[in-house]
Amino acid sequence: MDAHQRDLYLYERLNARVLGVSMDDVTTNKYFAKSFWLEFPIISNTLAWMGAAYGAYSDKRPFAPDGSPIRFGRLTVVIDKKGTVRYVKTGSPNNQEILGVLLQLEREFRGK
Amino acid sequence: MKRKFKPGLTLRFAFPLLVMTGLLLGGCATLGPEKPKDVVPTDRGTVIFLEKYEFKRPPAGWAMLKNLEGGDFELGFLTMERGAFPSQTTFIFDNQPFGSSRDLDQRAKQYCTRFLFNTGMYPEIKKQEKIEVIGLPALAIYLEGENPNRTEKAKSKVYLIQKGNRIISFVCTQWRPLNGIYDQAAFGQFEEFVKSFKFLKKSFYENFEEELKKLGI
Repeated sequence: MDAHQRDLYLYERLNARVLGVSMDDVTTNKYFAKSFWLEFPIISNTLAWMGAAYGAYSDKRPFAPDGSPIRFGRLTVVIDKKGTVRYVKTGSPNNQEILGVLLQLEREFRGK
Repeated sequence: MKRKFKPGLTLRFAFPLLVMTGLLLGGCATLGPEKPKDVVPTDRGTVIFLEKYEFKRPPAGWAMLKNLEGGDFELGFLTMERGAFPSQTTFIFDNQPFGSSRDLDQRAKQYCTRFLFNTGMYPEIKKQEKIEVIGLPALAIYLEGENPNRTEKAKSKVYLIQKGNRIISFVCTQWRPLNGIYDQAAFGQFEEFVKSFKFLKKSFYENFEEELKKLGI
């Protein structure tokens, strides 16, 4: 998240927007965003339907022994202006790769 | 009994064997391009790291820390002080220090709230000053902290440097037992390292911004 915030000025120049999605509740996300000085929205998706829709399943067991859900992992998705998913990557985000994808999409959009 | 020696037959086997050996050895030598060395010494008394940075290495006794696959920092050095309470001094170059602001003062605030946060110690800012480092506008931050539970203390010097639209950093931290004395020579070697540091290539972000300019963005 820190890295996305650091690169936000570049995302904005490419007319891209960042949206974080978390299974945490709104209050937790508010504190999280504040502690990292995040300026982009974080969706509190406690029922995790977004994670399911984009296939953010973790390779761990669906539930921990204490019953808490751990079935979603980190996933980065880039969606273009038409709503088509153009990039999906599990694990920690690779910002340089993401910026490369956004630049490519901008070139495609401009026909260059 | 005298053994019969048939030179023709021996050569018939030996020649293909020699050819095969030659081919195999030749094959070994041409298995892809040779991987360039991470650190290459120069005749200027410096080293070149990954063809990206040039700097003066600290003297013997400092081990190099390399992070080639991404992580908290890219390169640094570490030295250990042995004895009853082993402690270490490290210094690093980090091109993505904690925080996100591109304003030096604001970044310093962000940085210091998280610096050494997982050590159970809350380092106090002793001094902060605006200076120039390697010809670039920078903030020098001096921090010190103690952890009585672990009977240790630490002293750090942080340079946050404005390089184009990004902020990079050089950080030196020395750990000592609570009653120990800090070794100023190690901080001197850190200063030498910083002073000698040169960027040999444009960073990913500098190249990226040039691409954006080409597109008129």
